Amino acid sequence: MPKSQTIDPREARQRSLLRAPDIPVNAYVSDPQAEAECYSSAALLNIYHDMRLIREFELALDGFKKTGSYRGIEYMHPGPAHLSIGQEAAAVGQCLHLSPEDFILGSHRSHGEILAKGLSAIRALDDERLLGIMRQYMGGAALRVVEGIEDFGDVKTLAQAYLIYSAYAEIFARATGFNRGMGGSMHTFFPPFGIMPNNAIVGGSADIALGMALFKRINRQGGIVIANIGDSAVASGPVWEAMNFAAMDQYHQLWQADLGGAPPILFNFMNNFYGMGGQPQGETLGFGMLARVGLGVNAAAMHSERVDGYDPLAVADATRRQKERLLAGQGPALLDVITYRYSGHSPSDASSYRDRDEVELWRQQDSIASFAQYLYVNGHADSQTLADIEAAIERRIAVIVAAAIDLERSPRMTVAGDEIGALMFCKERADARTLSKERPPEVLQPLAESRLALTARKHRFGIDERGNARPKLQTLTYAEAIFEAMIQRFYEDPTMIAFGEENRDWGGAFGAYRGLTEAIPYHRLFNSPISEAAIVGVAVGYALAGGRAVPELMYCDFMGRAGDEIFNQMAKWQAMSANVLRMPLVLRVSVGMKYGAQHSQDWSSLVAHIPGLKVYFPATPYDAKGMLNLALRGTDPVVFFESQRLYNQPETLFAAGVPVEYYEVEEGQPQVHRQGGDITIVTLGATLYRALAAADRLWTQHGISAEVIDARFLNPLNYAPLVQSARKTGKVLLASDAVERGSFLHTMASNISQLAFDYLDAPLAVLGARNWITPPAELDESFFPGVDWMIDIIHQRILPLPGYQPRTRQDSAQILRRNRAGI
Amino acid sequence: MPQAIVMPKLGNSVESAIILTWHVDVGDAVRAGQALCEIETDKATLEVESSAAGILLARFFEAGAEVPVLRDIAIVGSEGEPFELPAQAAPPDSLSSPPPQASTSNKRASADPPKERLRISPRARNLAQRKSIDTGNIAGTGPAGRVIERDIRAALDQQPKVSPLAQAMLASGDYQIDDELTDVKTDERGKAKRLTKSDLKPVAPDASSDASDEVKTIALTGARRTIAKRMLESLQSTAQLTLNASAEATALRELRARFKASDEALFLRGVTINDLLMFAVARTLPAFPELNALFENDSISQYKRVHLGMAVHTPRALLVPVIRAADSLSLRALSAEAKRLAQACKSGKIKPDDMTGGSFTVTNLGSLGIESFTPILNPPQVGILGVGSVQLKPVERDGAVVFLPHIGLSLTVNHQAVDGAPAARFLTQLRENIAHIDLLLAV
Repeated sequence: MPKSQTIDPREARQRSLLRAPDIPVNAYVSDPQAEAECYSSAALLNIYHDMRLIREFELALDGFKKTGSYRGIEYMHPGPAHLSIGQEAAAVGQCLHLSPEDFILGSHRSHGEILAKGLSAIRALDDERLLGIMRQYMGGAALRVVEGIEDFGDVKTLAQAYLIYSAYAEIFARATGFNRGMGGSMHTFFPPFGIMPNNAIVGGSADIALGMALFKRINRQGGIVIANIGDSAVASGPVWEAMNFAAMDQYHQLWQADLGGAPPILFNFMNNFYGMGGQPQGETLGFGMLARVGLGVNAAAMHSERVDGYDPLAVADATRRQKERLLAGQGPALLDVITYRYSGHSPSDASSYRDRDEVELWRQQDSIASFAQYLYVNGHADSQTLADIEAAIERRIAVIVAAAIDLERSPRMTVAGDEIGALMFCKERADARTLSKERPPEVLQPLAESRLALTARKHRFGIDERGNARPKLQTLTYAEAIFEAMIQRFYEDPTMIAFGEENRDWGGAFGAYRGLTEAIPYHRLFNSPISEAAIVGVAVGYALAGGRAVPELMYCDFMGRAGDEIFNQMAKWQAMSANVLRMPLVLRVSVGMKYGAQHSQDWSSLVAHIPGLKVYFPATPYDAKGMLNLALRGTDPVVFFESQRLYNQPETLFAAGVPVEYYEVEEGQPQVHRQGGDITIVTLGATLYRALAAADRLWTQHGISAEVIDARFLNPLNYAPLVQSARKTGKVLLASDAVERGSFLHTMASNISQLAFDYLDAPLAVLGARNWITPPAELDESFFPGVDWMIDIIHQRILPLPGYQPRTRQDSAQILRRNRAGI
Repeated sequence: MPQAIVMPKLGNSVESAIILTWHVDVGDAVRAGQALCEIETDKATLEVESSAAGILLARFFEAGAEVPVLRDIAIVGSEGEPFELPAQAAPPDSLSSPPPQASTSNKRASADPPKERLRISPRARNLAQRKSIDTGNIAGTGPAGRVIERDIRAALDQQPKVSPLAQAMLASGDYQIDDELTDVKTDERGKAKRLTKSDLKPVAPDASSDASDEVKTIALTGARRTIAKRMLESLQSTAQLTLNASAEATALRELRARFKASDEALFLRGVTINDLLMFAVARTLPAFPELNALFENDSISQYKRVHLGMAVHTPRALLVPVIRAADSLSLRALSAEAKRLAQACKSGKIKPDDMTGGSFTVTNLGSLGIESFTPILNPPQVGILGVGSVQLKPVERDGAVVFLPHIGLSLTVNHQAVDGAPAARFLTQLRENIAHIDLLLAV
């Protein structure tokens, strides 16, 4: 709660009643005359065209999946195809009032939505823009294929063919697809037309869409963002988190008014009444009607409505009204668009959960047939015109799909080299791509007047000329090094935002952001709800839209709450988009201590396991600032671990101290902090200081000189210096505060063993925390690796120290015993 | 619940006790109160009784171990029951030993442990190889007795330092340290002496060594060392000239055949071709005193008598005993003396006196199939005759070519003392004498 707002008990304790707005249900009443005036016969015919085209597009896929052929064209499609046959009106109606700058994000069942949005964008963009997009995108690869199919005549028809072809090619995993086949059926998207990533995780688009809406709001860009998600997704935590995050009071009460209010997001539930085979309405949920959910989120009930998704004009009307509200800053909005899929969840679905008669009832009201009837009855088209449209679509789909399955014209991405590997990271610097020099970063005070002026004057190295520790309060700490990197970047990158729990007045739970509240306006630095999934998901959307996001998880242990967003979203979209999109996202994660089993875990190994993430873990103030600088300037997603053991740590290792001016640490490069010849100790995180103490003891008490190396990076990681040291000493101990089982140290140990085997004098020893819950702080010593353990494990597994009496058992028999016991 | 059996505290001053013998094996059933093992303190010998009934699940120390009091020494429980290893640190000497077998079927716990393969780290192995250190006898000080780098370094410290060139020569396997030259391991200042090229000598082929997969480094014994030195000295200090010829061996072979078939009472059955040859040499040499001579200190000492050296191969080395005044001996006497000396060489009982004072030497490789070779002088002698095998040679006789057996003769002389012509004359005479050995015997 910001200090500027007071919670008055008299108000809080006042007796009253909550009143909720009415929720309209299928309120639209068709008025053919008004509709003819609002649209035109041509536009109404386009609706028919688009619906019919989507139907045909998916019938071809249905044919390939179920019978291996479509209109005599044979093809086996091994990948997924979640079809939306029956849902076309909901998709086409939605896009009637959308412009290219509006974004839609979808689900695994979004072929119809992307085609509808694409067709709508093609009509809105002029020929020159269209040609420019098609020529530029992926070097014009898809355009060349499409131009070779036949002469499609005008640019818009060509662009339609381009859209259809690229979608098929993507679904069939071809290098000429929207995303070179890396997205596939469930992730087909095309940013130039406002078609943003479709998500195969149910509800996955909700918080990402909100992030994009925030990007539009914060960076004063036009358009709205629609999250097209299924009805069952409403019960998933991240969707609920996103709706609440979208409805925060602060947009209206604390953010500057000229931004325009709440982020323009429409949670558009494509309600086909089934979540796979379960029925949210009537079986697996209790909302009665999905539209009711809006009542729980804010006073405006998210302007929630149920809309008849079998009438494209009803959907168009509702979307238009919601769009107006959203652009006026009155979001978020919710639409419960009822629709129905005749096809199963997927081709393997035998529809055992529903009655044939039910499908037949909906078929009798089929939206395409109904709309053809509407056009005919109201004099917009005769039956020949409609038949001509249908025949033209069928022919066009046939020639285009034939080109898309043809391996000559539409090859798959070669996997001989490391082409897919090359897509995992963009390795770009944000400067060139996202920074608009015309738009200065919005700040509240000159940098020279910020807290940076104070921290810059502090001692930059914690040890004075005589070797004594300098006073802590006068010396720059690790937390302040984080602050310096953050504020310096805030003043460089106008798109950069940071958020999380207690990020503002509190300065982050550990004070790293102290001084930022005074310098950075609310919309660039704000408190979020305690919604870890949405914190990360919103950041993913913000980054995908082109901005830099720095979300913070207060404790590493809370990563579990954001599992999907970290593992599936943040990690994957760069590669799944074939590098069309960037992920300039730095997720700051604080590793706790002294707070027991759910607040003290180092989970860096978990994220290092996920391809697509960079993982940094600085242990000194110099590295904290230099590595955060590096992360904040790159365009790849970084999980940035910090340890709460270190926030008050002054720089004691880099003798030149922490520079005030900008610098970067070289990515992936371990740092040798002490040279030695007898044994190598490699650390990750705060164990560095215990390793240095162990090195002291090894030298003074046993005459053994230890080389101490802080790996600093988990991924990417240059093993060369580690291997070099291992080859020199032949003895390696690796230590971190993460629990031993599954620790990333084992990956490192394995790689070093491979690369230095012939030089090794003992097997590499991995020292982690015990495979237990983290016990209370008073029992820390029984759990986390300490100096004694390091010496003991060296004595018992690597190099027996004459005369040494170990205090703990670290011999290799313990490996067997503990693992047999599962601990 | 498994119950730990602890080493009892047998008095205020007793801190540890030694386990003398175990009375029960792992897997045996024990009664409460049953004696499990016998222990000895500095004051007395006692028995440790089981405090529980059940199966002996594990013994944590073997007989002979000194165990602090109150430490767990064994576990008794029900069959197959899991148990914790003692939490307290075991004494250093058993810290690294493998965990005790908990298996109830382990009846041979007290049997001799099987001989383990050498446990050595890759680093230590590579270092040992590089430095030509034999790892077989190195006691490992790493965990579980693994030989680690420092053990090799310690072994290296015991050795003199080696120059890079010498190191490479040693690593090649063709050279070895000359112990005689490097007996002194430290220099004048007490620092470890550095071995250089000059401290090495080539590895001599060892006829006695078994075919082995690996290079076997053999320290030189006295005899071998003497040979090595003598041979090299011989070549370095003399001007050796070798003349090759052959002598008709028809009479020689006939005679040998007749000796073999002769009456045992004549004691001639054991006379060999070599004996006959030595006899011929001994009888020929007196006419050529320049060959029956020693050359040393810039003077030549010619001998009246022929003290004939004979090369004898033994498993240890090549030895050259001397047949005194061979020119005065009958064939039978010469043969007997040759046998005696050869026997003494082979049994290693040859006296040093029997090996000195030769004036000329005969060495025979003919029995090994060698046709001709270059004998190396045994200085200060000036002549040595190498005897080759018997070969058929075409000879013109009565206008026809016939093949007659000939024995190869290779005479090496020290050209410093003997010229080629007298050497050739001696050889020609010797050929005649051999060809007509029957006549020579009659002289």
